[in-house]
Amino acid sequence: MKLRILIADDHEVVRRGLCTLLQSHEGWEICGEANNGRAAVEMATQLKPDVVILDIGMPNLNGLAATRQLVQQDPKCKVIVLTITDSDQVIREALDAGARGFVLKSDAARDLVAAVEALQRNRMFFTPRVNDMVLAGFLNRGHNGAATSTAPRLPQLTPREREVIQLLAEGKSSKEVASVLNLSTKTAETHRSNIMRKLGFHSIRDLVVYAVKNNIIQVQLPAESVVPRDDSAA
Amino acid sequence: MSIRILIVDDHPVVRHGLKTLIGEHPGWEVVAEAADGLEAVEMADKLSPDVVVLDVSMPRMHGLEACRRIRQNDPNCEILIVTQHDSLQMMEEALLCGARGYVVKSNAARDLLAAVDAVSKHKNFTARKPEQVSDAN
Repeated sequence: MKLRILIADDHEVVRRGLCTLLQSHEGWEICGEANNGRAAVEMATQLKPDVVILDIGMPNLNGLAATRQLVQQDPKCKVIVLTITDSDQVIREALDAGARGFVLKSDAARDLVAAVEALQRNRMFFTPRVNDMVLAGFLNRGHNGAATSTAPRLPQLTPREREVIQLLAEGKSSKEVASVLNLSTKTAETHRSNIMRKLGFHSIRDLVVYAVKNNIIQVQLPAESVVPRDDSAA
Repeated sequence: MSIRILIVDDHPVVRHGLKTLIGEHPGWEVVAEAADGLEAVEMADKLSPDVVVLDVSMPRMHGLEACRRIRQNDPNCEILIVTQHDSLQMMEEALLCGARGYVVKSNAARDLLAAVDAVSKHKNFTARKPEQVSDAN
């Protein structure tokens, strides 16, 4: 029986690359492709894939929130997150969300097959940096009896509130948020008020900054500066 | 018509995707892949491809600098920029550097084949409306 893999990335050209990479492996098949986290959750519920590969930076519902939902629905769900950065915070959130694999996008061609193989054998797959961080956390607990992370604690937001933050930060109105999440506009507005109160924010601008800083949305950096037009450089 | 294509992107998985898309067109051949701008210039010199599909943000040498050098070395070689930057400023800059086409990565699956076809015939290709593009080329 083939290992069934669901892929989610908002760039079709990346999905094509991932498909080519994974389909060449005997015994594996791509059972579905999604272009955002919400579609990935819906497809996973329907298709019951063995492994889900999720990009983190996706519209509508990011890969971390999608991972959280998938693992909540099925604690045995095997998720590999693809990321452009292995910052401490992203690693921590991916582990916290329940991801069993963590692969840098730049290394996907090298690491992704190994990651899927590891999950197939009910093991985990992390980059060396993630392994170091997990080990450091374990050792900290060993010495002190509790984790000694100095990372600032984020306000307790519910998964639903995180979803609402992403949609608001992407520019959606409360009415649009309600439509995406199948809520009444009043409920969406209540979520919005609760979020602003919990985070102590007074404007959507604050919320967008928070969403970017906390990897809830990823933004494209401004176009790089113009290259010099000095012909002698050639 | 046979077209020889060089693919340049620092992410191998994106190169895989671009190669798969291009491979769907009969007669087109991906002659090589490069992972940065400097390697692209060297490979273009060596292989004389008809079209270079070129990313912008890359290590060692920026894609637009690579574009300028490739065009300087071989004015017959056409450059198609494929980038994540959905920016008019970047597109104008690319055209000034000698690129013939500009495709945003999120639309690559939709636009790539038409863009390669156009630039290989020395025609401009931009997904934006013509009036949005200044007369840069």
